[in-house]
Amino acid sequence: MRLERPERRGRLRLTLPRRALGLGLRTPHVDDILERWPTVDWFEAISENYIDSAGRPRAILRRIAERYPVSLHGVSLSIGSTAPLDRNYLARLKRLVDELQPVTVSDHLCWTGVGGLNSHDLLPLPLTEEALSHVAGRVLAVQDVLGRPLALENPSSYLRFTHSTLEEPVFLRALCEATGCELLLDINNVHVTCQNTGGDPALYLEAIPWDRVVQMHLAGHEDCGTHLVDTHGQPVAPEVWSLYELGWRLGGGAPTLLERDSNIPAFDECLAELRLAERHRAGVQAAEACA
Amino acid sequence: MTSARSTLADTQQWLQSALLFPERVDASEAAQHLAPSAPLSALEHLAIYQRSYRVRLETCLREQFPVLCHALGCDLFNDFTREYLRACPPESYTLHDLGRRFADYLERERPDRAGGEGQQPWIDFIIDLARLERQLFVLFDAEGHEGEALAGPSTPDERLALGRGVVLGEYRFPVGAYHHDVRNGREPGEPLPERSWIALVRKDYTNQIIPIGGLPHAFLGFMRAGAGVREAMERAAGAFDLSVDEVERAWRGPGGTRERWIEAGMFVTKS
Repeated sequence: MRLERPERRGRLRLTLPRRALGLGLRTPHVDDILERWPTVDWFEAISENYIDSAGRPRAILRRIAERYPVSLHGVSLSIGSTAPLDRNYLARLKRLVDELQPVTVSDHLCWTGVGGLNSHDLLPLPLTEEALSHVAGRVLAVQDVLGRPLALENPSSYLRFTHSTLEEPVFLRALCEATGCELLLDINNVHVTCQNTGGDPALYLEAIPWDRVVQMHLAGHEDCGTHLVDTHGQPVAPEVWSLYELGWRLGGGAPTLLERDSNIPAFDECLAELRLAERHRAGVQAAEACA
Repeated sequence: MTSARSTLADTQQWLQSALLFPERVDASEAAQHLAPSAPLSALEHLAIYQRSYRVRLETCLREQFPVLCHALGCDLFNDFTREYLRACPPESYTLHDLGRRFADYLERERPDRAGGEGQQPWIDFIIDLARLERQLFVLFDAEGHEGEALAGPSTPDERLALGRGVVLGEYRFPVGAYHHDVRNGREPGEPLPERSWIALVRKDYTNQIIPIGGLPHAFLGFMRAGAGVREAMERAAGAFDLSVDEVERAWRGPGGTRERWIEAGMFVTKS
């Protein structure tokens, strides 16, 4: 780990080494972690599971944060919504951030609801100049509250709006330039979105502003025949590992985290799958050495 | 209906409405907003979100009300939750709030409300069970005794205060016992109506259901409202037309409530 001074802020902030490997913190694994304190570079906690907890979940997260770097990954910021920013949510998130001092604070490029409702789904945005300007304004507002850069993850999408005018990587690049925000690049989501909406995942990765990528996510998906669903319930697919290798070749890599949200296997099995990332990165290095 | 050149706000209103009310969207409207792909029409792309919205929330409610789901059976439980979600779509940023209005919804929309045969007891049972499960769910993440000193056997009555992690409940059915049985893998039948009182206690981050009687419920209720032990005894005795001595014997006698409740972690020490 090392301390770096973020561009927009004067405060020091812990950052992860580029080759760090992390795991999504999941309840079935908590006992394993607390009993063995396994070798993992960091854990990622889903913000909403903790921001309102005064009970066991938050107490456990505090204990884990004493031993490991922790990142906070949210699903309810609704950064793309045309509803007003939820200041109550932001204040609670800020309290959790202050308490844990996470290495990153992230959420998704999406919206979850308007008009006082919340779908609890990561809904896609039409990728337009209007949406870009709208999201950029909100990212700046959120960063002001948090006092640090926000990282945004490319969502998995199952539809494309007819009036979208920008490709997603172009949108993300422009957003980073306008706000100084960071990117959490989910490789599985790149694959799922491109399969579902007709994009080319290699071109997608080539267009990503790699200097803004602070983390990569890996996860599994389900093939429903006509489309892919980002279930986080299966091992990482071979196509996604291939894209991961491409990401390392193109961007030089970033700290990588494995997520599992359903059919959660034993902790050691998750850890073994995470370690596969090292093998794929070694393959990239070997190929580059031979070139 | 909005056009393909919708503003962002229009687009979001349209998509959200399409999730909440899938039956109101037809293929041509979907095609105005959404591009088809080789295998899927615009409407089929939309249907992926419509389905995942419903499945995610129904799954979440099953997790928040596992014993109620057991009591009703999955099909009937899903029917109730589907209607609940249509009537009370989620408003909060957190899924923890998803079941907040469920018991009230069941009470308001109880299936026997329009019938001429009076209220059916089994509906009271499921409403009570929904209330209990919600209380347990909330208690799990609520403020507990952590940060305060738990009382011990030697703590004098004058320094006892009801802990933050204690919730009192009163029900028309013995839902505490039913819940306990189901969570322990038994298959209890539907209980008969019988008033019951419970103290839900979170100690060391673990919830307990402690059956209590009407008098202890009143006593603890007075303490919750700020009374000390002596005042709560006097008020409970008055409410139940008993002498204070009788209440005190139940409190302080061998194996009395004082000893058991302190052991259960119901009291903290007032400074």
